[in-house]
Amino acid sequence: MANQSGQIYGLTILAPILGEDDHLDIGHATAVRWYLAGLPQDHTGPFAKISSTHFCRLVVMDDVVFVGSPAREEHLKSRYLVFESNFDGDLDTYLTRMAREIPDLVDAVWKHCVGYPGVADPAAFAAYMKKCQITTTFFFADVNNKTVDQTLKALQVQSDVSHFIAKNQGKPAVELQSAFRILLERMTKAPAPLRGGKDSEKTAAEDRPYDH
Amino acid sequence: MTTSTKIDAMKIDATKIDTTKIDVTDIQGFVLKGYNFPLARYLLLELGHPEAAQKFIAQTVQYLTTGERWSAKPATTVNIAFTFNGLAKLELPAPTLDSFPVEFQQGMRARGEILYDTGKNAPEHWDPVWREDRVHVWLAVNAQNQAALDQRCDLLLQIATQTGGAKLLQAQDACATYVDGHPKEHFGYSDGFGNPDFKGADRKCTPGQGKLTENGTWEALATGEFLLGYADESGELPVAPIPHLLARNGTFMVYRKMHQNVAMFRTFLEEQGRLYPGGKEKLASKFVGRWRDGTPVEISPDQMDPDLVKDNNHNTDFTYGKDLSGLRCPIGAHIRRGNPRDSFGFNGDLVNRRRIMRRGLPYGKYAEENEAVQDQDEHGVIFIALNASIFRQFEFVQQQWIEYGNDLHQGNDKDLIIGNHGGKGKSVMQGTADPKNPPFICASLPNFVELRGGDYFFMPSLTALQMMASGTVDPR
Amino acid sequence: MELLLLTNINGKAYAMNAITPMKRWKTPILWLIFFILGAIKPLQSALKNLSFIHFARWVIVKHNQFPHLDPKQPAEDLQYDYLIFFSNFNGTWNEYIDAFSAVLSKGLNTIWRWSEKFPGSVPVTPFKTYIGQVQFDTDYYYNAYPRASTNDVKAALRVQDAFNAFAENSKNLSPAEFEKAYLEFLVQVQADLGSTGMAPVGT
Repeated sequence: MANQSGQIYGLTILAPILGEDDHLDIGHATAVRWYLAGLPQDHTGPFAKISSTHFCRLVVMDDVVFVGSPAREEHLKSRYLVFESNFDGDLDTYLTRMAREIPDLVDAVWKHCVGYPGVADPAAFAAYMKKCQITTTFFFADVNNKTVDQTLKALQVQSDVSHFIAKNQGKPAVELQSAFRILLERMTKAPAPLRGGKDSEKTAAEDRPYDH
Repeated sequence: MTTSTKIDAMKIDATKIDTTKIDVTDIQGFVLKGYNFPLARYLLLELGHPEAAQKFIAQTVQYLTTGERWSAKPATTVNIAFTFNGLAKLELPAPTLDSFPVEFQQGMRARGEILYDTGKNAPEHWDPVWREDRVHVWLAVNAQNQAALDQRCDLLLQIATQTGGAKLLQAQDACATYVDGHPKEHFGYSDGFGNPDFKGADRKCTPGQGKLTENGTWEALATGEFLLGYADESGELPVAPIPHLLARNGTFMVYRKMHQNVAMFRTFLEEQGRLYPGGKEKLASKFVGRWRDGTPVEISPDQMDPDLVKDNNHNTDFTYGKDLSGLRCPIGAHIRRGNPRDSFGFNGDLVNRRRIMRRGLPYGKYAEENEAVQDQDEHGVIFIALNASIFRQFEFVQQQWIEYGNDLHQGNDKDLIIGNHGGKGKSVMQGTADPKNPPFICASLPNFVELRGGDYFFMPSLTALQMMASGTVDPR
Repeated sequence: MELLLLTNINGKAYAMNAITPMKRWKTPILWLIFFILGAIKPLQSALKNLSFIHFARWVIVKHNQFPHLDPKQPAEDLQYDYLIFFSNFNGTWNEYIDAFSAVLSKGLNTIWRWSEKFPGSVPVTPFKTYIGQVQFDTDYYYNAYPRASTNDVKAALRVQDAFNAFAENSKNLSPAEFEKAYLEFLVQVQADLGSTGMAPVGT
């Protein structure tokens, strides 16, 4: 199925944005843009809560492109809010979770779109989104068989293993073995790494990335 | 024509067009030859007013060394290059100045974030001459002996004074200690292997220096990777400043003064060498991808091979395609980062446009292994790279392959020898299940090398220099 | 309110969006090409070998397929069909396009030759100009693992598998046996231990 690659679902939504209106203080498209510009990108942002999301984006698509003569110039009559998401699991679950777990974001963004029914009824929201869905024609997923949490866990293991190896290099066998046992214990107790990372890590010096 | 045939017709196969005739007398010899002289002095000059500066250039050009064939090596060579500030001081027309690539206009100091010239490599640690915007000209004399060097430099500085066209800001000396025909740098490694071959350089293609062909042989790279005005590896003329005559037969030069902390490196190698079952010299070979005598690790991972070092037909002839796991040459070794060859698959196609021509020399007096050294001593390398596009070639290699490792599948790990580690970071040397040749990690890496300054230069052709000297640069 | 400035980038990933117009009669041809590519998978394997895209998709939106949800919404009246491309890739914009032009030019041409005024993916300069024209910016980008490129992810998954197996198999070994098994484990994972972290500055 074109929207799917392995366990990953590729969702493409084009929702028409409400037309401009002289009575509005700020146009709908601008309002969405400004709202999105203020959203945190990291683990404190809304999509970190929808834990099955690997990557997603929201884009205000103003118009199609005029590539130059002899191509013809044409324009869209509405702007469209593009939502592209790559997530684990099935579409209905995902959309329902959006309505239930991040209603503020959903409202703030999609209230500017034509036909938005609100989030009070997750089923109605899901139906609305499906009306706006465009089938993916060709979907590529480099890794398509691991969930977000499995991926983060693997990254944590990789980091821990790498540090362990460096720290215990050259140690005699008995010491090495007992250090390994301690590592195993620590790893099973470690909390899950943060989905979405920390914005502060983007300016901080490089360090053990998934430590807590 | 239909769209499809139009697209196919536009694709120029640069390898098929005969661009092997290049006008060597118009190109500065520094681009076409590694002079291999033992001494050099780089005169860093500030230009005076345009009329005086033009006179200075006009007179200096008479002594310039071109790419013409030598029947006998001269006692000295002279070459010249300009920073963007220098070209602006000469008052080249605004459209010409605007047409130079962005990175050249900004200068190296402004590109620090891209190059990881931060922390210990940040401009606040640079030699004062590089912290201002006064370096306009790099005037380089390479010499066979000290007397010839001094004489030639005196003559050129006299021209500068008499014309009032230039003033000396700093003279940077460099010198090479040759061991078995290869210069030694201060960490003890033989250097100077593996410069790229390009079409028209009138030199036999040395196996391993060019690009890989589909049947595994080596071929010279497109001229346009190293000279403006010729087709490059992507089938077009590289983006170049206007007018064509100003750019043609010219190239761009990167100059970086890289201080080496010799004491720190020696201590590190001793300590780690004791922990590494293969011993100190083998570990040193794993850092770089060549043993300190120059033997390539990929060909000879277990021992030095002096005969191989002397054999120019073989000492660079290797690929990594059968060693993707790094069992022979570690994946993150210095020369493997600088030129990954076929490590990324696709027959090396992702690497062909990322090659740089190295022309630098060490500076400071070489200290033997048994001599005491301190990190503050004057030891380092004047790193010089030539390329048609600083952004696409040098800056890319520096940013993506030296200070980062994603393309090599080494994550954020940096080059052990020259990376800006700041005390953190690590390097993995892959090994085998033989306890005498195990995997080995060096962690908490210090900065063995620290940047002390430099900039980006334009190295014009002889024609371009005449235009600049006579004020006849006309953008259209 | 702190505004995001680099909205196309989150950690090591870049969110590219591009839209190109196609004459209507060309759309079925492209659709068929995608169908064949999807079935034979040469494009999939080339993309995997390049190994710097997490997820990417092409979406054909025909002239009459833009969602129309209310009579008050003006109906679109378009001549062209549109091909929209979304990519989540690692590396800088320039590196990404350079690499595609260098090694995937045939595949790119096969997909984009049907778009109006596509100049071909070789040579690279007009290709980059075209992409600059048809690319539009992302307003909000979420990345669940910003410090990891797709290479990092794949390496981590390999390390985890090897680690789990080693942890299981070494449970009851003597110290000497453990040491030997550990060395074998090291050899297994030694190419996959790159640290994760921040990406170089975009250029």
